[in-house]
Amino acid sequence: VNDTVTIRPRRLMTSRFLQNKQIVIDVLHPGKAELRKTDLNHFKSHKMYKTAPDVIFVFGFRTHFGRSKTTGFGLCFYAKGNESKHRLKKHSLYKKEKTSRKQNKEGKNRIKSKGAGAGATPWRCHSKLR
Amino acid sequence: MKGSDALKMAAPEVLESDLPLALSLLNNLQEQVVAVTAQIQALTKKVQAGAYPTDKGLSFLEVKDQLLLMYLMDLSYLILDKASGSSLQEHPAILRLVEIRTVLEKLRPLDQKLKYQIDKLVRTAVTGSLSENDPLRFKPHPSNMISKLSSEDEDDEETEEGQSGTSGKKATKGAPRKYIPPRLVPVHYDETEAEREKKLLERAKKRALSSSVIRELKEQYSDAPEEIRDSRHPHATRQSQEDQHRIKYEESMMVRLSVSKREKGRRRRANAMSSQLHSLTHFSDISALTGGTPHLDEDQNPIKKRKKMLKKGRKKKGFRRRR
Repeated sequence: VNDTVTIRPRRLMTSRFLQNKQIVIDVLHPGKAELRKTDLNHFKSHKMYKTAPDVIFVFGFRTHFGRSKTTGFGLCFYAKGNESKHRLKKHSLYKKEKTSRKQNKEGKNRIKSKGAGAGATPWRCHSKLR
Repeated sequence: MKGSDALKMAAPEVLESDLPLALSLLNNLQEQVVAVTAQIQALTKKVQAGAYPTDKGLSFLEVKDQLLLMYLMDLSYLILDKASGSSLQEHPAILRLVEIRTVLEKLRPLDQKLKYQIDKLVRTAVTGSLSENDPLRFKPHPSNMISKLSSEDEDDEETEEGQSGTSGKKATKGAPRKYIPPRLVPVHYDETEAEREKKLLERAKKRALSSSVIRELKEQYSDAPEEIRDSRHPHATRQSQEDQHRIKYEESMMVRLSVSKREKGRRRRANAMSSQLHSLTHFSDISALTGGTPHLDEDQNPIKKRKKMLKKGRKKKGFRRRR
């Protein structure tokens, strides 16, 4: 039982709208039962891919019945800041500011009551009725 | 020829018995002719006086009237000629009669289609208003659906629009558009229970005819050569097709769909059934052809049992158990 793992990319689509390349990845692993996420993410830094590993994201891996093949998706972005936040969070590349909702609302109401020139950031009305 | 001679010289006994009958019939005929001519003369007087104006009526019925009149005229011409003894061979009226007859036959299906409307119109003309159970009384009134308030309330119309299903247009925001009625003729629904059952039985028969049992019998007894078709995968079940569809969707959209409990159960059952050689002994139901009542196999329809159980445990505890 050999331990080689073969990666076979399947459907490649370039999306200029989302500025990324989308790909369906087939991983063949006849020896192992399952692959761990750390192993999968390790492939991102493979030298075959000519980009930096921080614009490549893989997700959605499901192992087929019989346990020798896993299929998943991969995205490769043109630029750094375009990936969705929940995926960046998984790789700890994004951290959400811990602002409290109540505090935000109180601040806004304070500015409203004092008038427009009351602070460094003037509060603007974003209502839809405009 | 011998046959015609025999006809000409009928036995004198038959002639004698027929003679008084013929005389009485001829007298009857004379009286009836007099009565009919009187009636027709009265009718023509009325028509000439203009008692039956037809210019605002259905032109279809007008055409039928004229055709029937022409038919009558040609027919009476034929009778006249025949009664005065001349032969009907190559009579000019025969061709005309045949032509009018074919046209009338072609008009008959049109007549069928218009029958309901004409009857309704006549009834309305006689009684003066629509009858009690006339379906037109139940039509939707679109003017009741348009909001009489200002344009801010037009969002509410979108939800109420679903009920006028015959018109395909949706209400747009802004000024309300003119309601264009659909081009459909309302037909009365009068299908009885017996007819519905007959239809169901026919459908079951059709299904049974195309089942594998009957098909094999047909192949056995027919002379046609055995047809080898490009067969689909013999183990292609509905579940496997759904799975393929799901996989296609997932790979093109690059998302993973969640599998509900029901789906998981279905998948498990499909795998279990295909490994059980279940389909080997279960043939399709041909009771519609043999006349027996359809019997449901216990293991073929387990779904009904499950539904009943769900209904029982519908309390809050049951909800938690389901999760």
